[in-house]
Amino acid sequence: MNRKIVCFAGLKKFFGDETSVEVAPEESYAGLLEKLAELNPDAKEVLTSCRIAVNEKFVPLNETINDQTTLFLIPPSSGG
Amino acid sequence: MEDKSNDMKHIQNTAINYSELFDDFRHPQSGAVVLFSGEVRDNNKGRAVTHLEYEAYEPMANKMISEILEEAKSRFNLNQAACVHRVGRVEISGCAVVVITGSGHRKEAYDANRYIIDRVKNEVPIWKHEFFTDGTSEWGQNCDCVSNDHHHHQHHHNYERAE
Repeated sequence: MNRKIVCFAGLKKFFGDETSVEVAPEESYAGLLEKLAELNPDAKEVLTSCRIAVNEKFVPLNETINDQTTLFLIPPSSGG
Repeated sequence: MEDKSNDMKHIQNTAINYSELFDDFRHPQSGAVVLFSGEVRDNNKGRAVTHLEYEAYEPMANKMISEILEEAKSRFNLNQAACVHRVGRVEISGCAVVVITGSGHRKEAYDANRYIIDRVKNEVPIWKHEFFTDGTSEWGQNCDCVSNDHHHHQHHHNYERAE
Protein backbone atom coordinates (compact mmCIF):
# COMPACT_ATOMS: atom_id res chain seq x y z
CA MET A 1 0.00 0.00 0.00
CA ASN A 2 1.17 3.51 -0.77
CA ARG A 3 1.84 5.56 2.35
CA LYS A 4 2.06 9.32 2.58
CA ILE A 5 5.12 10.65 4.40
CA VAL A 6 5.44 14.27 5.53
CA CYS A 7 8.99 15.63 5.74
CA PHE A 8 10.51 18.48 7.74
CA ALA A 9 13.55 20.73 7.75
CA GLY A 10 16.67 19.31 6.04
CA LEU A 11 14.74 16.30 4.72
CA LYS A 12 12.79 18.48 2.32
CA LYS A 13 15.73 18.92 0.00
CA PHE A 14 15.72 15.14 -0.54
CA PHE A 15 12.02 14.34 -0.58
CA GLY A 16 10.10 17.63 -0.81
CA ASP A 17 7.38 18.56 1.68
CA GLU A 18 5.87 15.13 1.32
CA THR A 19 6.45 11.92 -0.52
CA SER A 20 4.85 8.52 -0.74
CA VAL A 21 6.34 5.06 -0.60
CA GLU A 22 4.96 1.65 -1.40
CA VAL A 23 4.90 -0.31 1.84
CA ALA A 24 4.82 -4.11 1.82
CA PRO A 25 2.66 -6.02 4.35
CA GLU A 26 4.62 -6.64 7.59
CA GLU A 27 7.04 -3.84 6.70
CA SER A 28 8.60 -2.16 9.75
CA TYR A 29 9.19 1.56 10.19
CA ALA A 30 12.94 0.82 10.02
CA GLY A 31 12.32 -0.97 6.72
CA LEU A 32 10.56 2.10 5.43
CA LEU A 33 13.58 4.26 6.34
CA GLU A 34 15.83 1.85 4.44
CA LYS A 35 13.54 2.05 1.45
CA LEU A 36 13.72 5.85 1.53
CA ALA A 37 17.53 5.64 1.68
CA GLU A 38 17.48 3.43 -1.41
CA LEU A 39 15.32 5.97 -3.20
CA ASN A 40 17.73 8.76 -2.32
CA PRO A 41 21.18 7.55 -1.23
CA ASP A 42 22.25 11.12 -0.40
CA ALA A 43 19.66 11.10 2.40
CA LYS A 44 20.98 7.90 3.97
CA GLU A 45 23.03 9.54 6.70
CA VAL A 46 20.26 11.80 7.98
CA LEU A 47 17.72 8.99 7.73
CA THR A 48 19.73 6.91 10.20
CA SER A 49 19.05 9.55 12.85
CA CYS A 50 15.39 10.23 12.03
CA ARG A 51 12.42 9.29 14.14
CA ILE A 52 8.93 8.60 12.82
CA ALA A 53 5.78 10.04 14.36
CA VAL A 54 2.27 8.72 13.89
CA ASN A 55 -0.72 10.50 15.38
CA GLU A 56 1.69 12.97 17.05
CA LYS A 57 3.58 10.23 18.88
CA PHE A 58 6.98 8.68 18.16
CA VAL A 59 6.77 5.02 17.17
CA PRO A 60 9.40 2.32 17.88
CA LEU A 61 11.15 1.80 14.55
CA ASN A 62 11.22 -1.98 14.88
CA GLU A 63 7.41 -2.11 14.93
CA THR A 64 5.34 -3.16 11.96
CA ILE A 65 3.58 -0.34 10.17
CA ASN A 66 -0.03 -1.05 11.04
CA ASP A 67 -1.52 2.38 11.13
CA GLN A 68 -3.26 3.74 8.05
CA THR A 69 -2.62 7.42 8.71
CA THR A 70 0.12 9.72 7.46
CA LEU A 71 3.66 9.17 8.70
CA PHE A 72 5.77 12.12 9.81
CA LEU A 73 9.51 11.83 9.33
CA ILE A 74 11.28 13.70 12.14
CA PRO A 75 14.96 14.63 11.74
CA PRO A 76 17.03 15.37 14.88
CA SER A 77 15.72 18.36 16.81
CA SER A 78 17.61 21.63 16.59
CA GLY A 79 15.35 24.08 18.40
CA GLY A 80 16.38 26.63 21.00
CA MET B 1 -5.31 18.94 34.71
CA GLU B 2 -6.63 21.58 32.41
CA ASP B 3 -6.94 20.43 28.82
CA LYS B 4 -5.30 22.95 26.57
CA SER B 5 -4.25 20.50 23.89
CA ASN B 6 -6.00 22.44 21.14
CA ASP B 7 -4.45 25.70 22.18
CA MET B 8 -1.18 26.29 20.30
CA LYS B 9 0.21 28.46 23.06
CA HIS B 10 3.76 27.06 23.12
CA ILE B 11 4.53 27.75 19.46
CA GLN B 12 4.37 31.27 18.11
CA ASN B 13 5.15 32.86 14.75
CA THR B 14 5.37 36.42 16.09
CA ALA B 15 7.88 38.08 18.44
CA ILE B 16 7.90 36.67 21.97
CA ASN B 17 7.19 39.38 24.52
CA TYR B 18 8.93 37.82 27.50
CA SER B 19 8.54 40.92 29.68
CA GLU B 20 4.79 40.47 29.40
CA LEU B 21 5.01 36.76 30.12
CA PHE B 22 7.20 37.52 33.13
CA ASP B 23 4.75 40.11 34.47
CA ASP B 24 2.00 37.51 34.31
CA PHE B 25 4.09 35.11 36.32
CA ARG B 26 3.51 36.34 39.84
CA HIS B 27 2.42 33.68 42.32
CA PRO B 28 1.98 34.20 46.06
CA GLN B 29 3.87 30.98 46.83
CA SER B 30 6.78 31.70 44.49
CA GLY B 31 9.87 33.15 46.14
CA ALA B 32 11.92 32.49 42.99
CA VAL B 33 11.13 33.08 39.33
CA VAL B 34 13.74 32.24 36.68
CA LEU B 35 13.51 33.39 33.07
CA PHE B 36 15.70 31.95 30.32
CA SER B 37 15.66 33.53 26.89
CA GLY B 38 17.41 31.69 24.05
CA GLU B 39 18.50 34.43 21.64
CA VAL B 40 19.93 34.48 18.15
CA ARG B 41 23.72 34.97 17.99
CA ASP B 42 25.40 36.70 15.09
CA ASN B 43 27.85 33.82 14.73
CA ASN B 44 28.00 30.05 14.93
CA LYS B 45 31.09 27.85 14.72
CA GLY B 46 33.12 30.74 13.39
CA ARG B 47 30.64 31.76 10.69
CA ALA B 48 28.76 35.05 10.60
CA VAL B 49 25.00 34.53 10.85
CA THR B 50 22.45 36.94 9.36
CA HIS B 51 19.27 35.44 10.87
CA LEU B 52 17.56 32.16 11.69
CA GLU B 53 14.34 30.56 10.59
CA TYR B 54 12.61 27.98 12.75
CA GLU B 55 10.30 25.27 11.55
CA ALA B 56 8.24 22.96 13.77
CA TYR B 57 5.85 20.07 13.49
CA GLU B 58 3.59 22.43 15.35
CA PRO B 59 0.80 20.31 16.88
CA MET B 60 3.27 17.71 18.12
CA ALA B 61 5.80 20.29 19.34
CA ASN B 62 3.08 22.13 21.22
CA LYS B 63 1.85 18.93 22.83
CA MET B 64 5.35 17.79 23.80
CA ILE B 65 6.24 21.14 25.37
CA SER B 66 3.00 21.03 27.32
CA GLU B 67 3.86 17.53 28.60
CA ILE B 68 7.45 18.53 29.48
CA LEU B 69 6.12 21.49 31.49
CA GLU B 70 3.65 19.31 33.38
CA GLU B 71 6.34 16.78 34.17
CA ALA B 72 8.75 19.52 35.32
CA LYS B 73 6.07 21.05 37.54
CA SER B 74 5.54 17.83 39.46
CA ARG B 75 9.19 16.74 39.47
CA PHE B 76 10.52 20.07 40.79
CA ASN B 77 7.46 21.13 42.76
CA LEU B 78 6.96 24.30 40.70
CA ASN B 79 4.08 26.68 41.14
CA GLN B 80 4.24 27.69 37.49
CA ALA B 81 6.14 26.87 34.31
CA ALA B 82 5.90 28.39 30.85
CA CYS B 83 7.69 27.85 27.56
CA VAL B 84 7.15 29.48 24.17
CA HIS B 85 9.21 28.70 21.06
CA ARG B 86 9.31 30.76 17.89
CA VAL B 87 8.70 29.55 14.37
CA GLY B 88 9.52 31.66 11.33
CA ARG B 89 12.26 34.24 10.91
CA VAL B 90 14.11 35.50 14.01
CA GLU B 91 16.66 38.30 13.70
CA ILE B 92 19.96 38.65 15.61
CA SER B 93 19.27 39.21 19.34
CA GLY B 94 15.69 38.12 18.84
CA CYS B 95 14.17 35.69 21.31
CA ALA B 96 13.87 32.19 19.85
CA VAL B 97 12.63 30.45 22.98
CA VAL B 98 11.67 31.48 26.48
CA VAL B 99 11.33 29.32 29.61
CA ILE B 100 10.01 30.70 32.89
CA THR B 101 9.82 28.72 36.11
CA GLY B 102 8.50 29.74 39.51
CA SER B 103 8.91 27.90 42.81
CA GLY B 104 9.13 28.51 46.53
CA HIS B 105 12.92 28.60 46.48
CA ARG B 106 15.55 29.26 43.82
CA LYS B 107 17.11 25.81 43.49
CA GLU B 108 13.98 24.22 42.07
CA ALA B 109 13.29 27.16 39.74
CA TYR B 110 16.85 27.07 38.33
CA ASP B 111 17.02 23.28 38.06
CA ALA B 112 13.60 23.01 36.45
CA ASN B 113 14.36 25.79 33.98
CA ARG B 114 17.49 23.98 32.79
CA TYR B 115 15.64 20.68 32.65
CA ILE B 116 12.88 22.17 30.49
CA ILE B 117 15.15 23.96 27.99
CA ASP B 118 17.40 20.91 27.62
CA ARG B 119 14.48 18.62 26.87
CA VAL B 120 12.86 21.12 24.50
CA LYS B 121 16.11 21.46 22.54
CA ASN B 122 16.83 17.74 22.42
CA GLU B 123 13.44 16.15 21.95
CA VAL B 124 10.82 18.49 20.54
CA PRO B 125 10.37 18.52 16.73
CA ILE B 126 11.61 22.05 16.07
CA TRP B 127 14.40 22.86 13.62
CA LYS B 128 16.73 25.77 13.17
CA HIS B 129 17.73 26.95 9.70
CA GLU B 130 20.80 29.18 9.91
CA PHE B 131 21.48 31.78 7.24
CA PHE B 132 25.05 33.02 6.82
CA THR B 133 26.49 36.27 5.48
CA ASP B 134 28.07 34.39 2.55
CA GLY B 135 24.59 33.57 1.27
CA THR B 136 24.59 29.89 2.26
CA SER B 137 22.32 28.28 4.81
CA GLU B 138 22.38 25.17 6.93
CA TRP B 139 19.91 23.17 9.00
CA GLY B 140 21.12 23.11 12.59
CA GLN B 141 21.91 20.21 14.85
CA ASN B 142 21.64 20.12 18.63
CA CYS B 143 22.84 17.58 21.02
CA ASP B 144 24.41 18.53 24.29
CA CYS B 145 23.55 15.17 25.84
CA VAL B 146 22.57 16.58 29.22
CA SER B 147 19.05 15.33 29.66
CA ASN B 148 18.60 11.85 31.04
CA ASP B 149 16.13 10.52 28.57
CA HIS B 150 16.65 12.34 25.32
CA HIS B 151 16.82 10.23 22.22
CA HIS B 152 20.41 9.98 21.19
CA HIS B 153 21.19 10.46 17.57
CA GLN B 154 24.32 10.47 15.54
CA HIS B 155 26.02 13.81 15.63
CA HIS B 156 27.78 16.06 13.17
CA HIS B 157 25.49 15.74 10.22
CA ASN B 158 26.10 18.27 7.57
CA TYR B 159 22.79 19.57 6.29
CA GLU B 160 24.41 22.29 4.33
CA ARG B 161 22.82 23.26 1.10
CA ALA B 162 23.64 25.88 -1.43
CA GLU B 163 20.62 28.10 -1.92
